[in-house]
Amino acid sequence: MTIALQVLVSGLAAGAVYGLFAAGYSLIYRLTGIVHFAFGDLVGLGIFATLLVLAGTTPVSQAGATEPRFVLALIVGLVLCVAAGIATYVGIVQPYLSRGSTIGWVAGTAAVAFAIRAVIGATFQRSSYVFPDPLPFHDVGRSGFVRIGGAQVQARAFFVIGLAVALALGSAWFLEHTRYGRALRAVADDAEGARFVGVPVELLVALAFGLVGALAMIAAIAAAPGEAVNANTGTLLGLKGLVAALAVRFGPPLWAFVAGLVLGVVEAAIANVHIGSWQLGPSYREVLPIAFVLLFISLWPSPEALEERE
Amino acid sequence: MSAFPQTGVELRRAVAEARAGWNRLGWLALAAIGVVALVPFLSLPGVRLDALANTLYLALAATALGLTVGSAGLPSLGTGAFMAIGAFTSALLVARSGWGVEPAALAGAAAALVAGLLSGGVVRLRRAFVAVSTWLLAWLVWLFLLAFPSVSGGSQGLILPQKTLLGLDATPTVHFELALVLLALAALAIAAARRGAPGLELSALREAPALATSLGVGLASRRLAAFAATATLAGLAGALAVQLQAVADPNAYDPFLSFKLLVAVLLGGAAATLGPAAGVALLGVINLVSGPFARLLHLPLERFDTAVAAVLLVFVLALGGEGIVPWLLARLRRTEPLEPRPAVPAAPTGPSPHEPVLRAAALRKAFGGVVAVDGLALELARGETTALIGPNGSGKTTALRLISGASRPDSGVVELGGSDVTARSTGERVRLGIARTLQTTSAFSELTVLENVLVGRSVRRPYAGLVRTALATPRARREAEAAEVAALQALALVGLERAADTPVPELTGSQRRLVALAAALATEPDVLLVDELAAGAGADELDWLAAVVDRIRERGVALLVVEHNLRLVRRVADRVVVLAAGATVAEGSVAEVAASGVVQRAYLGSQRL
Repeated sequence: MTIALQVLVSGLAAGAVYGLFAAGYSLIYRLTGIVHFAFGDLVGLGIFATLLVLAGTTPVSQAGATEPRFVLALIVGLVLCVAAGIATYVGIVQPYLSRGSTIGWVAGTAAVAFAIRAVIGATFQRSSYVFPDPLPFHDVGRSGFVRIGGAQVQARAFFVIGLAVALALGSAWFLEHTRYGRALRAVADDAEGARFVGVPVELLVALAFGLVGALAMIAAIAAAPGEAVNANTGTLLGLKGLVAALAVRFGPPLWAFVAGLVLGVVEAAIANVHIGSWQLGPSYREVLPIAFVLLFISLWPSPEALEERE
Repeated sequence: MSAFPQTGVELRRAVAEARAGWNRLGWLALAAIGVVALVPFLSLPGVRLDALANTLYLALAATALGLTVGSAGLPSLGTGAFMAIGAFTSALLVARSGWGVEPAALAGAAAALVAGLLSGGVVRLRRAFVAVSTWLLAWLVWLFLLAFPSVSGGSQGLILPQKTLLGLDATPTVHFELALVLLALAALAIAAARRGAPGLELSALREAPALATSLGVGLASRRLAAFAATATLAGLAGALAVQLQAVADPNAYDPFLSFKLLVAVLLGGAAATLGPAAGVALLGVINLVSGPFARLLHLPLERFDTAVAAVLLVFVLALGGEGIVPWLLARLRRTEPLEPRPAVPAAPTGPSPHEPVLRAAALRKAFGGVVAVDGLALELARGETTALIGPNGSGKTTALRLISGASRPDSGVVELGGSDVTARSTGERVRLGIARTLQTTSAFSELTVLENVLVGRSVRRPYAGLVRTALATPRARREAEAAEVAALQALALVGLERAADTPVPELTGSQRRLVALAAALATEPDVLLVDELAAGAGADELDWLAAVVDRIRERGVALLVVEHNLRLVRRVADRVVVLAAGATVAEGSVAEVAASGVVQRAYLGSQRL
């Protein structure tokens, strides 16, 4: 019971971040039909830009972060992340999309991913960094941990879950009820038709490329002080998001978010739960979900995922 | 016993053919291989042989990937995973079970083949999904190696004992020569496959999957063959390279390896067999040149390389680049005037006419609440042209789709020659003798006219698989010749034999429809379903089209033509079936149907003109 609660809370906290990535992948796929391989690394770029403004490239301690500076750093990071997202669409995705070249956007977005990772890795060469924490979670409970029904749970986890769920529901509301959101759904439905009735498709999609990055980045930064970060952080978060998005076969973004939550809990369960003396253990945490989703997509593809045939 | 002289004949023939097909490029390639083979014996200063041999193994994997990317058009981001599987299989067998290098390498290739077949279900998917799935595969294998040090040897990797290779000490020189031979053989085999039926079918599937499947070309099987062949060769390359490196290090197989291979393929050019190998060479040169720059900027070389390769790739792609080798070839190749093809004998005629061959009964198909076909019954006889007419939305094309197997009826049966084929797939029905032309896509525009028709021939080519074609077995070559003759006969039947080597974009709309008709004829159908042959045809073209339909009918084929052009119908139809709202409202000879006034009512409702 104790373990179950711990797994659930920590799993949901990790999954909430995956979920926002997954929702981003899914929204982009539905808007353009592409898979954004640089998504995770673009968010990583934002995270490390924030870190750079906050504390330079030194391994950071708590002392580095003051609130005004943090706000400034966050704004710099978000702006960079949004701008890089838009630039990726305009410079890398759109040209190949309009030419109908799949290999072009696949290789192009992957190239952006590896290039960004190379730049981050070259600037932040240590194997791990501590992200400073502007919020005083440290003072909650016993150095950041609270006891619930005998379980030790990070207080930050509740904040991350709440924030991510609020962001996900907020964006869903936004897509449903605002002009911009409705226009985006029209593009997802039928881009040609939307263009025909005067929706500025390119502009909207470019903005969407930037904004999904910002959403995922906020969640990732909220969770970041919880554990060490390095050049691979964005990449790995992106990978988890991609696994969740593929599990719902790039369905509605809100489903993808839920799939992310489920993935987080499943990972935590694989790592920690044992039945009697039998346990999978942390080694299986990363690989089992990927293997399962791959098997799932290749054995039970949805009709939309299949190549068009007669 | 008699096998020997025959083999001799085959050999002489093969040599003669090779001589005939040999050109400047062939000599150039042979000379290049010869020069490269001498490199280990020149003791060049500053050249690291092991690095060169390693690059050749990488080139082998990239060449294999060229088949999947260039021919099948699949954006695979997971080739490094197959190299890793090959590498760790062979490394474990050598380090833990004491195997020799050669059997361990073969086992590595076999393991990669199994992995390729297991993950090959993804080739049925849209390209975006293929890219994601292969990308996840690359991550899966790498994360597995990192998570299970008991398999991968952890951060130190698996240390491999020094062994012998092909009876010699496994020095870099031996590896270099072996890698070069394997690369040349793989390139030859892949070039043969790409020129032959597999390459043609993969191109057809890449350009217009719907049209290719309607001609009976199996999408999943052909793409799986290419994907699995790539996996196997990549596995072999990984298995041998790891023995050269003498250590199996999990970090050498991170997803960047897969990306690097794709970059090599795209830089060198996926359209040419040797493009990917040239791409690998180019990446190697970049690596050498960028070393000093990386030191200047205090960057780790690997990271610097990554960034340079990525930027270069984006640059080449942005230029609309086809890659280096295809670009060069287009400039080197002389365009020689084509010799006129020798005349082919006319095709033998079919069985006696007027024998019933296809029967459809009580066919029904609804899409949601709309009933498209409602209790349709049809009988088609050999040597008879039946026209299916009716207003837009009356269910004509749906009826064709139900008969050809493109969609399944909600109820009802389709019988061919007395046996029930209702549950059979399109491909099986094409093989059994039901062919169909499509209304929307008529011909593959990236292929020549003859190649278009050859795609239709693929259901009649049991020996044209990837392996047989790549090895150019005698049967495969005989079959290829026979297929060409049959395709030319089909073209002659529609009157386009002179246009055999014309690229499709130079044809008129009607000519393209005739090419499609010839491709369908090449499947040797008993029943031919033709959708809108005369769409957009001018009055002067109608005579020609009518003559073609009559010629096909005279050969004993049962024709069902869906046609809006009633002038063509009047010319060719022995029988007319009028559909309205998915059901037959009139049936009979042209005169009978015209007299009944049903057609007018079906098209115009009850109002009179």
